[in-house]
Amino acid sequence: MQTIPIRMRTNRKTRSAMREKFSQPSTVVSGVLLFLVTICATFAPLIAPTNPYDLSVVSIMDGRLAPGEKMFDGTVAWLGTDGAGRDVLSAILFGLRTSLIVAVCSAVIALFIGLLVGLTAAFFGGRIDSFLMRIVDIQLSFPAILVALVLLALLGKGIDKVIIALIIVQWAIYARTVRATAIVERRKEYIEAATCLRLSSFRIIWKHLLPNSISPLIVLATLQTAHSISIEATLSFLGVGVPITEPSLGSLISNGFDYILSGAYWITLFPGIMLFATVAAINIFGDRLRVLLNPRLSK
Amino acid sequence: MLAFVIKRCIQSVVVLFVMSLIVFSMINLVGDPVDMLVNPESLPEEIDRVRRDFGLDQSVQVQYWKFLTGAVSGDLGNSFIFGRPALALIAERFPATLELATCALILAVSVGLPLGIYAGLNPDGWGARIVMGGSVLGISIPTFWLGLMMIIIFSVLLGWLPVSGRGETENFLGIESSIFTVDGLRHLVLPAINLALFKISMVIRLTRAGVEEVMALDFIKFARARGLSSPRIIRSHLLPNIFIPIVTVLAIEFGTLIAFATVTESVFAWPGVGKLVIDAIVNLDRPIVVAYLLFVVTLFLVLNLIVDIIYAAIDPRVRLQGDR
Repeated sequence: MQTIPIRMRTNRKTRSAMREKFSQPSTVVSGVLLFLVTICATFAPLIAPTNPYDLSVVSIMDGRLAPGEKMFDGTVAWLGTDGAGRDVLSAILFGLRTSLIVAVCSAVIALFIGLLVGLTAAFFGGRIDSFLMRIVDIQLSFPAILVALVLLALLGKGIDKVIIALIIVQWAIYARTVRATAIVERRKEYIEAATCLRLSSFRIIWKHLLPNSISPLIVLATLQTAHSISIEATLSFLGVGVPITEPSLGSLISNGFDYILSGAYWITLFPGIMLFATVAAINIFGDRLRVLLNPRLSK
Repeated sequence: MLAFVIKRCIQSVVVLFVMSLIVFSMINLVGDPVDMLVNPESLPEEIDRVRRDFGLDQSVQVQYWKFLTGAVSGDLGNSFIFGRPALALIAERFPATLELATCALILAVSVGLPLGIYAGLNPDGWGARIVMGGSVLGISIPTFWLGLMMIIIFSVLLGWLPVSGRGETENFLGIESSIFTVDGLRHLVLPAINLALFKISMVIRLTRAGVEEVMALDFIKFARARGLSSPRIIRSHLLPNIFIPIVTVLAIEFGTLIAFATVTESVFAWPGVGKLVIDAIVNLDRPIVVAYLLFVVTLFLVLNLIVDIIYAAIDPRVRLQGDR
């Protein structure tokens, strides 16, 4: 009888701790920022003051205007213009769009491949498992940026190639995480029961193993998205990722690199702040998500 | 142990071979290096001659076989652009990268470890919150952009430090390095901090997690019950227990630093291997790309093997595969 009130108290305690953790200012700020970033990226063509890639609008006469100056056609360039006369604010909005598309596409496809490999390894075990995990181990022993760099050296430039490189970089992390969770689930009774009912392997994996192995992936996928935005920007900056003709945050910063010594700081500063804010918001949000989904706290 | 090492060495050779095969066959699909080497206005005979000289008129299989036989005797081919052995070029540039990575690692440990321990010991204090918040920002800030901002602030606006390059180097005890001259140090400060920042944040997070985990364990409670002073508990009970995972992670991180140096080297025009390989990728200088790749893969395989061996040596609970 005595244990019941004690349990209830710890339960209430952890729950209020959870609520406190989630109402922290950093969580709210990062959540709002993330929401705004997504809106800006989705509706970039509607929000942006000018279309920086429409050559009939962009004029070289507007080149390197400081933030707040008026462009030739009367629009104010709030964040200045770059060397070719493109409005930096509009370029950032379009760039953000490309960066997010690359990151989200690669995360979703890599997640899918990782799920497939991880669940297969966990379900069948034995040779298949050790073979697949050996590949994962070998790949994960090299840093992501290096693998991506080499892949792009082999594939060439382009948005599609960056996505392919990021998928190859990320699938192994998902596969390892899924396998670790699924291998624990695999030994539980409900899987045994399903096997006794002679359900097909596919059905057991799809209907039973998958739904129970997916929650650790949510946090991982969030943090990985931040990571791949960073990698894409870095690769584009190094000149092997998204080409300069397609706006991405990395290629915008790389474009501004040529002007920093002449004092036109805004061409690199503002896209960089956007990149930093996006990655930081996702990281902080992911961190909080980890706290929320942590089984030790949600018991 | 010996069985494990032999098994891993065989596996490493297989990985190297497969890597070289994939890289060699795929790199031949991207662009035509001859376009980068000859003046586009030169005569067709001239272009053909260059193509023959570099052996690019032969099929990929023949080229790969030539490369493989050369590689076994330690010759990874000549750079198209510099006309010198690719491996020699890498060996020449590697000390600069090694210097940068070592300085960054030292910075990461000397700043990250104390801050991480502090944050772990006072998890609810304001100081810890600032440290942990800072570490999230440090992990999120893109290295290359931070480098650019550092150049704008410290070199362009304030004019305190040089923009790029390595500066003077001096030979001390057989090591050619820029840490022995004032000019060299001035050149080294910004790139080293830039490269270290991400790792500092990582070390802080790792250390804090380790400290929190160990401080909750029974032997710390018993040490407290025995009436030991806090500094004594930290020194003789906490530190030895958090060092094992941190040291092993750092050994692997040293490899990542060398890979990440590519980015920092490009920003600060630091004459290391990273800059060499980025230029080689852009200029389609295939032998350097292939040689760099095999070099880095070997480096990582060796580092990982060392880590596994150290791990088994320090922690008796770990058993190596093949040791059963």
